[in-house]
Formats: sequence, structure tokens, C-alpha cells
Amino acid sequence: MAELEIRGVTVKHGGITAVKDASIYAERGEIIGLIGADGAGKSSLMHAAAGVIRFDGEVSFGGTSFGSPREAERLKPKIGLMPQGIGLVLYKNLTVSEHLSFFSKIRGLKEDAALNDYKHRLLKMAGLERFTERPAGKLSGGMMQKLSLICTLIHRPSLLILDEPTTGVDPLSRLELWKILEEIRESEGTVTLMSTAYMQEAEKMDRVYLFDSGTIIASGTAEELNETVKGYVYEPVACRSDRCIAAGHYTYSLDPLKTPHKEPTLEALFFINALKRGVEIPEIVVSERESEEPIPQVVMEAKGLTKRFGDFVADDHIDMDLKSGEILGLLGANGAGKTTFIKMLLGLYPIDDGELVLLGKPIRSAEDRLGLKARIGYVSQHFSLYKDMTVRENLLYFASMHGIDAKKASSRIDRYAKELGFTSYMDSLPTELPLGINQRFSVAAALLHEPVVLFLDEPTSGVDAIARSQFWQMLKLLKRKWGIAILITTHYMSEAEYCDRVVLLKEGRKVADDSVENLYKKHPAAKSFEEIFLHYYEDGR
Amino acid sequence: MSPGVIRAYILKEFRELFRSRLILIVYILPTMIIILFGYGIRMEVTDARTLIIDNDNSTISRDLSARFEHSRYFDTRVTSGMGEQEALKRIKQAKVDILIIIPDSFEKRLLHGEKTEIGVFIDGAFPVRATTMQNYVKGVIYDAARSLTDKKPTNLITVNSRNLFNQSMRDEDAIVPGLIGLILLVAPAILSALLIVKEKEEGTIFNFYSSPIKKSEFIVAKLVPPLILHTVNIFILFLWATWLFEVPFRGSFLLYWAASQIYIAISLGVGLLVSIITRTQIVAIVLTIIITIIPGFLYSGMLMPISSMSGESKIEAHIYPVMYFNHIIYDTFLIGQGLDSPKNRLYLTILFFYAIFLILLGSRLMKKELS
Repeated sequence: MAELEIRGVTVKHGGITAVKDASIYAERGEIIGLIGADGAGKSSLMHAAAGVIRFDGEVSFGGTSFGSPREAERLKPKIGLMPQGIGLVLYKNLTVSEHLSFFSKIRGLKEDAALNDYKHRLLKMAGLERFTERPAGKLSGGMMQKLSLICTLIHRPSLLILDEPTTGVDPLSRLELWKILEEIRESEGTVTLMSTAYMQEAEKMDRVYLFDSGTIIASGTAEELNETVKGYVYEPVACRSDRCIAAGHYTYSLDPLKTPHKEPTLEALFFINALKRGVEIPEIVVSERESEEPIPQVVMEAKGLTKRFGDFVADDHIDMDLKSGEILGLLGANGAGKTTFIKMLLGLYPIDDGELVLLGKPIRSAEDRLGLKARIGYVSQHFSLYKDMTVRENLLYFASMHGIDAKKASSRIDRYAKELGFTSYMDSLPTELPLGINQRFSVAAALLHEPVVLFLDEPTSGVDAIARSQFWQMLKLLKRKWGIAILITTHYMSEAEYCDRVVLLKEGRKVADDSVENLYKKHPAAKSFEEIFLHYYEDGR
Repeated sequence: MSPGVIRAYILKEFRELFRSRLILIVYILPTMIIILFGYGIRMEVTDARTLIIDNDNSTISRDLSARFEHSRYFDTRVTSGMGEQEALKRIKQAKVDILIIIPDSFEKRLLHGEKTEIGVFIDGAFPVRATTMQNYVKGVIYDAARSLTDKKPTNLITVNSRNLFNQSMRDEDAIVPGLIGLILLVAPAILSALLIVKEKEEGTIFNFYSSPIKKSEFIVAKLVPPLILHTVNIFILFLWATWLFEVPFRGSFLLYWAASQIYIAISLGVGLLVSIITRTQIVAIVLTIIITIIPGFLYSGMLMPISSMSGESKIEAHIYPVMYFNHIIYDTFLIGQGLDSPKNRLYLTILFFYAIFLILLGSRLMKKELS
């Protein structure tokens, strides 16, 4: 019998079946991946395995089995759960070291030298030794995730359940997180159950389960799974039937194409599955903008932009420019100063030093920005939508905030909904939507007033492969049809390749600013953009 | 139960309370309520602005004016020769509350045993206040009439006292003890509900769900901090009542303390129950306020004595804990019978079991799993 066996587990949320008859097994020391679109049932299954939700079926671990949260109590000392959501289990006002001490106390660990050593090791692994006195609320997203992970590890669980621990975490922190996982599985034989939105991560796992609408539709090692879709994956080419999708660097087709085949990645599973099930993937369309206002050549020009928080320099003399018809990717580890930089551009943080020219206008005071707001679009990390209003109501509200008259707004909203493929969700609340739809609708809200520049802060974190590919299609169309400038931050290095130019920040300084091709030329040994990214970060470490 | 786990949780709660500054609300809110309501609710009227137009200017009329001038209920100004229209305009402009017009030859007619009339106009914008002022004015005038014509006593009406044990007729004495009952029901309930619902709303509740912490440990850890913090309020509120509002305290302080402590436990039980059915902090606050303030007010005995209630309202009054606590609290402040009174003993016992019942019910209903 395997160390962990989940047999026929079904979880219902108020009548709706979140996951149905799911079975998973894992041997000692294995890392098991759960992948699938948002809302496919991964979290529910993990909650059942951690014994925090009622379910039908059985979970057994190390010979002990349970069928309800009450029965799971016996196993809880052995289980560690890190639920989905950045810094979800952290107390914003408590410091890093207070967290470790709280978690070790509620787990009833003996306070001795060994525990102290272990704490130090965890802190070092997570790169948090220098931040022990910082409140969790003031950590960057990646640091919060690493802190959550080490808090989950403090009692040395033998079953580790991690729900998207790497979403919103930069490549470097992801690598460190993986190092921690590898280390404990080697030394303690920990079984890890982990969901992820990064397919490169899933490829490193011992076995992967693919979820779709509450059921497990495929499982196996990455190679085994890739083998099943190999015949459908081609070099990029335009599609002619609805049994075919062109997405970025790949084309997926159920019917044979004349184009040569291409080696698939796990992302292909999502597309092929959608095609096989006949799921209609709405094609993204963007029509010309209604306004004929000319767009300046240089949209934004920053010289030596600096932001300090006390002694801490978040952005240190950053020079950057953004031209119309350009997609600029702003990359960097969590806490490198990306969000702070965007917030300075928007006037959400005062600029401490340096010069900023926006749309040809030098910005010195808040008054200088007044006229500009109508020409800037912004989507924040958290999609600032009102949860108690439907999609339509939200969009109408944003339109009236921009002073667009009701008739025009209403027709524009309907057009966007159709073009960006969320017409059927117009009367739902944002909380009921899949993340991918939420993300497109947030961008639609930022586009209502037809801005000439769009700032997007991590719009794709946690969004599944299909929705992300549609999102990028939308950005490319916006660039081509509208000719506007787009500044985007992301942690998906594969997405960086869709940008015309990337700027790399490291600890508040700019370390690279070039086109993707040029960067590949400078680093001929790099097989992927991720390696280029890591190269900059590993220098001088 | 493991003391180490509970201690760690409680320490965390205190750190969060202090760092989020929620601690300020724990102490400002009760004091604010007692000061706002204590000064704000006035049923008696003092210093009513009174204008007497004495058109007679005789010994009797001056004596009558003097009685108004010497009363603390009236802030009197006497003039003569002001026209009625002019005087009524003052009331319209809300510069005067009461207008009394003594006609000329008032004394002469009285001495001749003839009927005479005193004109009294009262600002009736607030009917209850107007009725009170009217009664005061009547009282003074009849009182004067009696002393004048002691030979033939007339049907006299005097102002009747509202509260037997409140001889000085002070509103503070009637209201402030009731406010303590209101505050000790509302404030601890809000805090305990918040401490639990905050974790639900922010997701940190997973730390409880996914670890071996027992439900009992979690509940103790969540209820002890509000219990400790609000125990201090028992003393603070006592000080405000006796020192700021000068309410007499005739009973046993120990009984006051014990009853209040049990009452806080009841309030924590209410908060615990609210936290079970709510998911967001804002809903928890609103719900707690609704289910504590309304009965806290209606059945406090502040607005209406429980003994005068009947039917459903009487049953309701007996269901809520407010009535039992207020009975004891008014006794300790104004009467001082204490535990000699069998009713107080009974009510204290009821409160004790009420608290145990609520907290046990809450512990029973709380689930250590996602809902």
C-alpha cells in the first residue's frame, strides 16, 4: 500500500460538486502535482486530504485512514497545509520571528537548541534571515509565500499539502522554494501534494494529475502525459477549423496539419483537452478605438526615479522609457521594486527623486496629473473590482467615473464583452467568475475610457494556460489596433518572450533593458528566458 | 487542553490587538457610550428658559416670580410691559421655553376672591419635555396658591416623583447603571466575534483547521483576551458612574464586580455564537450590535420599567439576560439590599447558568472545518 492513498473522494460545496470520485496515491518522498484550470477542484481535494472539509470517500496516510475532519484530527500532527492565497495564513502585524515561534508553539514543539537550529535553517533556506523583525504585512509577495511555507514546515510534517505555493512568486524564489522541498523529501521522506500554475514546475514532479471540472482526466509523469498529446502539437501556424487553436509558440490541432510537429509541454494538455471536449474558446477580437486622439511617440520617460521607505530604497534611480505601440515587460524578483515603480508612475506614491514625463508633460505635482488620468489605464495585482456588483454594474460604474455618457458606455461595454469573450458572465458577480474571465473583465474596465497607455501589474498570476494565451492575444491586438503603449509585470518568464522589450529590476536597480532577441544574443548558452533572468540574479550573489 | 498552545494563541491575540490599535476601541468605546448617553438622555428638565411678564407688579405677583427664580428647574427672567405678540415671537425663535403672563390687577382680584387667569405658553416642540415643563409650572403656581389661601385648601396637584429609590430625581441615577449593563453586553460581544471572524475572513483560520489544536483550546484562546480586557472596563465604568455622574453606590462592590464578570461571560457567548454564523467582520459587527443593543435598551429598565410590561414584551424581557443583570446593578447602586434579597440571589444564579449555556452552545456549534 502506498504511503498516501486518496480513494474516491467527493467534495460538495452547498450542493455543488467541487470534485468527484478523485483517487490519488503517493509513495514516500514523492512530489505529486495537481494541475488544471481555476475552479477545477484541486483546492477542494487538497482540503479533503488535509482534513479541513467534509467529504465522501477515504484518505489514508501511513496506514491510518480517515473519512471526515473529525477522524483526521489524529493525523493532523503529521500534516502541513498551506492553502491558496498569498500570505493567507500569516498575521499581518506579527513579525517573521514571531510567526515561527507562534507556529512552533501551537504545534507543541519542544523549545530546545535543535528547534532553534531548525528555525535558522528554515530562515536561511527562505532567505529571510535579514528580515526576522519585519511584520509579515510588509513583506513582498514572494517572501510571504516563503514564510508561509517555512511556517508549514516547522513541525516537520510527513504529509505536505501545498495549494499553489508558487503563484505570484518570482522565478528565483520559486527555485529556492523547490530547493526546500527537494531537501526535506530527501532527508525526511516527506510526501508532497502540490498544485501549480507553472507547467515547468509540474514537469519536475514525480507524477501529475490533470483536473477538469471536478474530475481527474489524466495522470502520469510529465513524459507520459506529453506522449499522449504529442500527435496534436505543431509549430505555430494559423488555424482554419474550430478543431485547432493557435497559441503563442504552438499550434494545437486534432486534425493532422502539414506543419512539422513540435515537442509538447504540459500546457498542451489544457489545449488538447479543451479541443477534445469541444469547449468553445472564444476568439479574442479588438476593434479600432472610437476616439481619434493622437498618441504621443514617447508615452513615458523616467529619469532617475527614486522611492525610499525610511532607510529602505525601493527604487534606486531608475531610467526607463515607454513608446507607443510597444509592450514593455517589467521583470524582477518579489520586492525588486516593480509595483512601487508603477505606483509612482500613477501618482499613488510620491516620487522622492528624479524626473518623470508622462504623455509629454513633466510631472512635478498632483495638479500636473489631473488631465492625464483620463488617458491612463491601470489594472492592479488584486483586480480592484466591487464584489457586490455584477460585471455589468462594475463596468457601468467605471464608465461613469470616467464621465462617459450612459448610452455610449453601454454600447462600448457590450462590444468589449463580445470581443473579449465574457458576454455570458455579464450578470454574474466577480467572485463567481473563473480567474481568467475576471482578469479580462478587469482589463475591459481599464479600457473603457480608451486610454493611450495601459499599466498592468501581474495580471496573469494564477490564471490557467488557455486564459493566459487569450490574454496575450488581446494585448497584441490592442497594441496593433490601438497603437497604445503597455507596461506589464509578470512572473511567467515564458510571457516575457511576448514583450517587445524587457526591463529587469534587481533590489531596486535596473540591471537590464533590451529586446528579448538581444538578450538571447547576449546569453547564447541560455535555453529559456528563465535562465537569462536567473543569470542576472545569480551574478554577485 | 495544552496551556502552551493557549498561551501562544493569547499572546498572538494581544500583539495583534495592540499593533492594530484595536485596543483603543476596547477602551474608548465603552467610555464614549457612557458619556454620550449619560449626558445625552435627559428626561427631566432643568433650567427651562422662562420669561415672566409681570403686568401687575404687586406683592403676590413678585412672590410668584420669586418662586420661579429660586427653582433650579427654571432659568427665569422677569420683565413688565412687554407685549404678548413680542413675547410669543421669542418662543417661535426658540429663545424662550416658557412664557408666563401675569395680568394687571392680579393681586386685587385675588384679594377680592374673584377669578383670575395667568397666561402660560409652553414650547411644545418636544411633547414629553413640554408636558414635564407644564407640570412643573402648574406645581409652582398651585404651591404658591396654597400658601396664599391657607384658609380654604384647593385641589392641589404636585409633581409626582418618578422613582421611589431616586429621591433626588436625578436622571443620572436612573440611566447610568442601565448604561453599564448595555455596554457590558455590547462591547465584549463585538470583540470576541471580531477575534474569531477576522481569522475566517483573512484565511488564517486555516492554522486552526489544519493543526492539532483542539476546539476547546481555540475557544479559550479567543475568549480570554476580551474577558481580561473588558474586566478592566468594569472598574472604569464604575468610576465614571460614581465620580463623573455622581451616582450613589449603596450596595456591595463585590456583588457589582461578580455580576458584571458573569455578564461579560454572557456577552462573550453571544459573540461566539455570532462568529459561528458570520464570515466577514463587518457583518459580525452589525449583527452583534443589532442583537445586543436593542434588547440592551428596551429591556434595560431605562425607558420603561419591566414590571409595567405585559404579554409578549414581558416574556421577551425574561428571555434576554439584560433584565436580570440590571436588577442587580440598580440594586447595588441605588438600594443596597445585595444578596439579602432572594430575587438578587435568584437572578445571579440565572445569569451564571445563562453564561455557561451560551458558551457551551457556542462550543458545540462551532466546527473545526471549512463550511
